Amino acid sequence: MIAGVRAGEPQAERALYDQHVDRVYRLAYRMAGDEDLARDFTQDAFIRAFEKIEQFRGEAALATWLRSIAVSVILNGLRKVKRLRQREVGLNAANAVGGGPSRAEPDLKQKLQGAIDALPDKYRMVFVMHDVEGYTHQEISEALGMQLGTSKAQLSRARAKLRESLAEFAGEWAS
Amino acid sequence: MTEEKFQEFLREAAQDYHRPPESPRAEIWQAIRQERRAQEAERARRAWRWQRRAFRSPVVRWGVGVAAALVIGIGIGRLMPRQAGQLVEGPDAEPAAEMAEPSAAYRYAANDHLGQVEMFLTAFRVDSRSGRPVADSPDEARQLLSTTRLLLDSPASDDAQMRTLLEDIELVLVQISQFEGPKGDEELDLIDDSMERRSVLLRLQTALTGQPGMAGVQGVL
Repeated sequence: MIAGVRAGEPQAERALYDQHVDRVYRLAYRMAGDEDLARDFTQDAFIRAFEKIEQFRGEAALATWLRSIAVSVILNGLRKVKRLRQREVGLNAANAVGGGPSRAEPDLKQKLQGAIDALPDKYRMVFVMHDVEGYTHQEISEALGMQLGTSKAQLSRARAKLRESLAEFAGEWAS
Repeated sequence: MTEEKFQEFLREAAQDYHRPPESPRAEIWQAIRQERRAQEAERARRAWRWQRRAFRSPVVRWGVGVAAALVIGIGIGRLMPRQAGQLVEGPDAEPAAEMAEPSAAYRYAANDHLGQVEMFLTAFRVDSRSGRPVADSPDEARQLLSTTRLLLDSPASDDAQMRTLLEDIELVLVQISQFEGPKGDEELDLIDDSMERRSVLLRLQTALTGQPGMAGVQGVL
């Protein structure tokens, strides 16, 4: 299949795509939380993979190599989106007059969602990959190009931050 | 509240975090194909522009001129002693086949031109099929058209196959050179149809892969 992709055969490219698209899309969606963005990130990841297939030397599994491309595309994409959104927020804040409608206290689920969203992207990626999508530290460290220990340390820090943010709900998981 | 309990809670509760829907496989695949076709066209267009720009440079033009002169010069030089020998040997000798060699330079020029036409037509077809603007194409087609006509009037077209190919290219280039822009969807279909019917791109690629003209040049060199 890899030889076929290298030769630019559409059938081989399609086979590679079919084999890996679901996992790439799941990760992209978990990180982006938006259908359009997840679609764009998945698309870009495969385009880059097809373009760079010559550089794949077969030392790692194809899935590992593809995952590292996907992770890099997702993190770069999120950085760009964040920059754009910050600019928009800046404009909206300048235009806003007075306070908005008061919001009710969020429940635990909302609070958890907000707390995960607030994690730095790299910590969030490690947390999502490990605790949500079930990747091993070995797979995470290869995808993010970091030491195994760093992956473990970042997960631990991410969990600590979440615990801190959810302190007011401590009774819920203690019971 | 132990750390284990918290981790267990977190893993369970986080399953709802941005829960993904089923992946839209077909849509993403279609977008990938479209994007890759557009990139391919862009590469072909860039290569074509680069080649055109390079040929506009006086240094390259002089270089090509000198190379062509050398090819013809060496070719004639190789033929001359044999012809002289044949004169001494008498009327039985057959110089006709050898006399065909000087057209090698023309065939070389024709092959170079076919390469440029192939790049141009590939870029044009991909652009027009993907709905991208083809505004510069009529000008570029006119330039290629004038070279095609020069080649048709030169010994390069002595070869029947080359002549037919050049004539078909001329026809397609005339159509593109008369293309009138955004309103011309029907025109684009006609051009596309014309290329398909005559298998112009396929024949160009075959001619370039086979490089029949190059064999003559190599023989001279």
